[in-house]
Amino acid sequence: MWQWFHRWGSPKWFYDLSGRWLPWLTGALILFLVVGVVWALLFVPQDYQQSYTTRILVVHVAVASTSLAFFPIMAVAGTITLVWKMKMADMVAKTVAPLGAWFSALTLASGSIWGSVMWGTWWEWSDSRLTSMLFQFFLLISVISLRSALNDSETAAKACAVLSIVGCVNVVIIKYSVEWWNTLHQPASALSMNSGSANGPAFWVPTLVMVIAMYLLMAVHVMMATRNEILRRESRSQWVQDLVLAAK
Amino acid sequence: MFERIPFSSFGEFLNMGGYAFNVWTVYLLFVIFLLVNLLGPRRRRKQLMKELERRAVLAERQQPDSSD
Amino acid sequence: MKPHRRKRLAIILFIAAGLSVGIGLTLYALRQNLNMFFTPSQVAAGEFPPGREIRIGGMVKEGSVLHADDSLEVRFVATDYASDVPIHYQGILPDLFREGQGIVVEGQVDRAGVLQASRVLAKHDENYMSPEVKAALDAAHVERPGYGQVSEGVPDGT
Repeated sequence: MWQWFHRWGSPKWFYDLSGRWLPWLTGALILFLVVGVVWALLFVPQDYQQSYTTRILVVHVAVASTSLAFFPIMAVAGTITLVWKMKMADMVAKTVAPLGAWFSALTLASGSIWGSVMWGTWWEWSDSRLTSMLFQFFLLISVISLRSALNDSETAAKACAVLSIVGCVNVVIIKYSVEWWNTLHQPASALSMNSGSANGPAFWVPTLVMVIAMYLLMAVHVMMATRNEILRRESRSQWVQDLVLAAK
Repeated sequence: MFERIPFSSFGEFLNMGGYAFNVWTVYLLFVIFLLVNLLGPRRRRKQLMKELERRAVLAERQQPDSSD
Repeated sequence: MKPHRRKRLAIILFIAAGLSVGIGLTLYALRQNLNMFFTPSQVAAGEFPPGREIRIGGMVKEGSVLHADDSLEVRFVATDYASDVPIHYQGILPDLFREGQGIVVEGQVDRAGVLQASRVLAKHDENYMSPEVKAALDAAHVERPGYGQVSEGVPDGT
C-alpha cells in the first residue's frame, strides 16, 4: 500500500503512466461528449413549464456538480503536500485550480442565462446558492493568484494547500444552501426510475452521461497539464533531457 | 430512435421552444470551455518541447563532447 | 507513517475541524439573514422590518390574479396556504408567472397591508417532467411530491 502510494510521488512514473492512459481517456471523453450533447439537444423532452430550457439543465447540472469536486481534490493533494511533501501532489493541485475556475464560471454563466428567462432575473445577491458558488469562483482565483504571487514554490505550495483545505467548507455550504435557507434556486431533484413520474430517466440519464464526460474532461486536462508541469520542473533531470532529445 | 426527436422541422430545432438565444448561448459557451481546456494544454506542451529542445541544442554547443 | 508526519496530519485535521465548527456557528447565527425571503405567515405575524424593502416568497393563489385591461398593472395574492399577502405590481411578469406558481416578490408593505411590488420573480420547483407526463399525472390525480411547498427551508419563524 505505502509502496504504491510513494510510487505515485515519482514524476517519471506519473509521466509514463499518464502517457499510456491519455489516448484511452481522450477517446472515452469524446464518446461521452458526443453522446451527451446529441442526446441533450435532440432527445431530452421539454418540461411542462420550462419548455426546451431542459437543454440548458443538462449542461448546467453536469458542470455545476463537477465543479464541487475541485476543492476536495485540491484539499487531498494539499494534505499530501503538507504531510508527505510530495511534489507530484502539488503539481496536480496547481493544474486543477484553473480548471475549477473555468467550471465555476461556466456554472454561473449557464445558470444566469437560464434564470434570466425562467426566474426573470440574471442574478440575485440574496440567494445563498448563487452567492456561495460565486464565492467558490473567487476562492479559486485567490488560490491561483496566491501561487503566482509567492516566488518561493515551497511556500506557495503550503499556502495553497491550506487555502484549499479551508475552501472545502464552502463546498458544503453550496451543496446545502438550498436546504438550509430559502432561496430562489430550487433544491436538488429527487431522481426517479419511473419514466411516468417527475425527474424520470429521460432527464437524468443524459445528465449522467454529461457528468461522466465532465469528470473525463477533468482527468484528461489535469493529466496533460501536469505532464507539462513535470517537464518544466524536471527539465534539468536526465530522463527529461533524454526524452527531449529522443523527440527531436 | 428518430421518432423520439420532439422536433418536426429543423427550424423548430433551432427555435428551441422560443428559448433559442438562451439555449444556444449556453452551448456556445460550453464549446468554448471545452476547446480552451483541451487544446490549451496541448499548445503549451508544443511550446514547452520547442523551448526544451532549443535549450538542449544550446547546451550541446556550449559543452561539446570530448570525443568531438 | 513516520511520527513527525502523523503529527503534521493531526494538526491539519485539528485546524480543519476547528474552522468548520467556527464557520458552522457563524452561519447558524446568521441564518435569518441568509434567507432570501419571508413567508406570508411571517408577514402576517409582523415578523419583518417595517418601512424597508422586503422579499416574500409564496405561491400565486389560484383565482386571485386580476390584470388591468389597459396597463401592465396586476393584483394577486401570495400565499403559503396558511396566510395570504395581497400584492400590487406594475410591470412585466416573468414567463413562468401563473396561478399556483412559486414566486418571490420584492417591495414594501403599505399601511393597508398590501405589498407594493417593485419586482416579481418566478420560482420553479425541482420536478422536471414532459407535458405528457404532467397531463397523465394530473389525470390520475397524483399529488406530486413537493408541489405546493415554497421550499424545503421554510423558516419556522425563529
